[in-house]
Amino acid sequence: MALHKDIYREFEDVVGPEYICDDPAIMPSYHGTEFAAVILPENTAQVQAIIKLCNKHRIPFRPVCTGWTGKFAPGFLYIDLRRMNRIIEINEKNMYAVVEPYVITAQLQAELMKRGLHLNVKGAGSNCSAMLRGHGHLDQTTSGDDRNHLAIEWVTPAGDIVRSGSLGSSDEWFCGDGPGPSLRSILTSAVPPGVTPGVFTKAAMKVYHWPGPAQFPVTGVSPNYQLSEIPPNMMARYYSFPSVEKMWQAEIKIGEAEIAFELMGFNIAMVAANISTSNEQEEENFKRLSKEIQGPGFFIILAGNSAADFAYKQRVLNQIVNDNSGKSVTSLEDPRTEGILLCQCIRISASIRETFRPGGMFKSIPVMGQRDLTIRWAIGAGKAKEPLIEKGLIVDDGGAAFGWGVEQGHLGKTEIFCKYDPHNEVANQAVEDWHKEQSDRAFRENYFALLIGQAVEDWHKEQSDRAFKERYFALLIGQNAEIGRALSNYDKWWNEIQKSFDPNRVSPEGGALV
Amino acid sequence: MGLEQYQGDMNMCCRCSACKWVPMQRVSGYQFANVCPSISRFNFHSYSGGGRMNIGAAMLRNEISYTDRLQHIVYNCQMCGACGVSCNYAMDMNVMEPIYELRIKCVKDGKTLPALDQTIEGLRKTGSIFPPNGKRGDWAQGLDLKDAAKDKVAVMLYVGDVTSYDPYLQKLARATAKILQKAGVDFGIAGNAEVSSGDRAYQLGYEEDFLNQARKNMDYINRNGIKTVVTADAESYQAFKVLYDKYKLRGSLQVLHITEYIRQLIQEGKLKPKNNVDMNVTYHDPCHLGRLGEPWVHWEGKKVPGDRFVFDPPKQYRRGSNGVYDAPRDVLNSIPGVKLTEMQRIKEYAWCCGSGGGVGRSNPEFAQWTAQERIDEAETTGAEAIVTACPWCQKLFNKTIDDGNSRMKVFDIVELFEQSIE
Repeated sequence: MALHKDIYREFEDVVGPEYICDDPAIMPSYHGTEFAAVILPENTAQVQAIIKLCNKHRIPFRPVCTGWTGKFAPGFLYIDLRRMNRIIEINEKNMYAVVEPYVITAQLQAELMKRGLHLNVKGAGSNCSAMLRGHGHLDQTTSGDDRNHLAIEWVTPAGDIVRSGSLGSSDEWFCGDGPGPSLRSILTSAVPPGVTPGVFTKAAMKVYHWPGPAQFPVTGVSPNYQLSEIPPNMMARYYSFPSVEKMWQAEIKIGEAEIAFELMGFNIAMVAANISTSNEQEEENFKRLSKEIQGPGFFIILAGNSAADFAYKQRVLNQIVNDNSGKSVTSLEDPRTEGILLCQCIRISASIRETFRPGGMFKSIPVMGQRDLTIRWAIGAGKAKEPLIEKGLIVDDGGAAFGWGVEQGHLGKTEIFCKYDPHNEVANQAVEDWHKEQSDRAFRENYFALLIGQAVEDWHKEQSDRAFKERYFALLIGQNAEIGRALSNYDKWWNEIQKSFDPNRVSPEGGALV
Repeated sequence: MGLEQYQGDMNMCCRCSACKWVPMQRVSGYQFANVCPSISRFNFHSYSGGGRMNIGAAMLRNEISYTDRLQHIVYNCQMCGACGVSCNYAMDMNVMEPIYELRIKCVKDGKTLPALDQTIEGLRKTGSIFPPNGKRGDWAQGLDLKDAAKDKVAVMLYVGDVTSYDPYLQKLARATAKILQKAGVDFGIAGNAEVSSGDRAYQLGYEEDFLNQARKNMDYINRNGIKTVVTADAESYQAFKVLYDKYKLRGSLQVLHITEYIRQLIQEGKLKPKNNVDMNVTYHDPCHLGRLGEPWVHWEGKKVPGDRFVFDPPKQYRRGSNGVYDAPRDVLNSIPGVKLTEMQRIKEYAWCCGSGGGVGRSNPEFAQWTAQERIDEAETTGAEAIVTACPWCQKLFNKTIDDGNSRMKVFDIVELFEQSIE
């Protein structure tokens, strides 16, 4: 799988010997995959040169940022974007920030907060790229997915540099759609494969008004961080409701009233995870909090732009909660806990504690669509988890799903996952089966579940087949075809577009910005 | 048991990259968000804490063998522990212990670096990790100090290798002794009988050499009825307090860093800083006093079968929460005229000075690169001096400043405190 030494030298000439490596010793840390090499470009010109060489030698590549868990194909050139880590511009007037791929969200967010701004923090966490596409806790007010990408600098799979949107005509980053080429649906596709071929080298991210402090007053020593005071114009609460219907009605009303800074449909297990500093503590807190709730619920953060605005939002929230028989979990109103939740949910976007800590792995099915419908689907998926919980194969979270409204509830996201020990073969298989059954059910029932990843996994099962490219593409095309039939055969168009951008098929998996 | 006992921990790594950064709540801007010198300098993920977990796990599965690159990864790490703190904000897993074990395995397998072998050879011959220069106790000439072996003292001042032999740093030993004299403490020193605490040997993976030193020290202490050891050498402090305890050699010996002891003596009214020391300073937390100075937690148990990574009895992870952070700051703040301005990365998420893990010997360029990053950070505070509480930090900062163009001065806390009580 290693590169021929002459080819290796060509890549080395681009980045210098310090920034390319094919030594087997580094591969365990690159997803345990036998990559042809790992290369670390410093700028767009180097990315372009690397991709041109990939085309010249027909070497498939995969660009990656922080590189959270993933499955990767051996033999690829792994483009680690770690050295491309600059904030190019924060444009306060036009409310966008231009970043390279390895600026993490926590860095950009901290800089933005100093300027009274913030951005959508994706569910993957603030330890991931600031230009990541996806959803997160702040979707209620910042939207999610591709909506926050403005102009993008993109090196295509063929090695051309394309500047999308306004950047294509004016050297300005303020718009993703023009004046200039609008490639939004190609660059940030929301349908499978959901990944962009080639490499994003810079992107402008939309930023939003931040009503909170320039810096949270964090005190204490890790992992027991707290806020010395709750900002006077902010409040975090968890409300539970007697039924899903009541919870959903409250969500709608809150969206209509546009009062929430963040509305996160956490289940109580996720709250327990976020306020706990160990697995044992999490179990205890989950048991305790489960007794304090009356049914499904959500976590909400209010942030006032003035004292009057804050008071108004509080009054409206109380009215909506009361109208729907909601009840606050009072133990979470303790300022110490409230501060933890504010920080966890705004600065960190929770994530690691609630996903990987208990067992080391989780497997998820995210479903996009109207919340009341997708919640119904998720209830079924949750019931299907119960036997696994009873057998002790997955972590007990009450079988609950989670989710939130996007754009004040115009759209929604619902997600459900199993947390488990991936080294337990029985658990692994049980989760695998659950995942497939429930994903298929979502698809059959016309929910938009993100199935991408299955093709990669199928490919991995066949990795002994050295004619991997042909098989891999067939699987990808087959995967997309299944969804395509339900969506105007878009997959055929997509395949044609991809061929034109990637004539040598060197970028089959697209990028991974997580 | 070696590396094997941490297989479960290493398998827990989810590759989130938290180990590369200060804990997310503490990221206060674009600058100074990194926490790991190794990944910051060498960039490939293998150089991060998580990458080292992945390598350790792969070694146990016999999936990789030794290469030059592997040794480069293993030994280009200051063993500063910052990765573990950032990981353990969210995750329940041992991070530093498997990294130590990986080095121990390398030594057992004979996969070491010549520069480090040479250092250990020196230790075996001289009892010091730092090349001797004269007699070990020469620094004490004229101070009229008690001999801990002859004079039956309850408190022993342990000086450490670098402070004993480095002509420039010997002033720290003298200042420390003078502070204790001023407070009327009944203390003694081992003088020429003092030997290395073994901390560096442990950091380099030479476990047996470390244990030899530890046994020698504890024999001396037990033989002479010493109840308390005070030291201004942060690495030795960590050895006596944490490592000796880990290997069940410490017994009931009380171990105090000089800053802890000074604070106690101030509280007891035995020391009263009076003289103005007008200086704007910033404080650098030595890794071995701070996050690595956290007490050892003895635990024996087994994983509870099932879905969660939990243990019976529950495992207490050393997350950096209980390191020594306040005592040095309290001492600094007690000195009239000293104005302390903090850097961005402090306490449990402080950036390492660059000296640890043998990097100063095996890759001095990397050590100084790391120190320069800290000096740059210190300069952003507007302070005129970095104050630290470890001679190794001071030595490397001075060297880096001498080789560069910073005007920053470097002091140990004992130097400033002594001025305030003279």
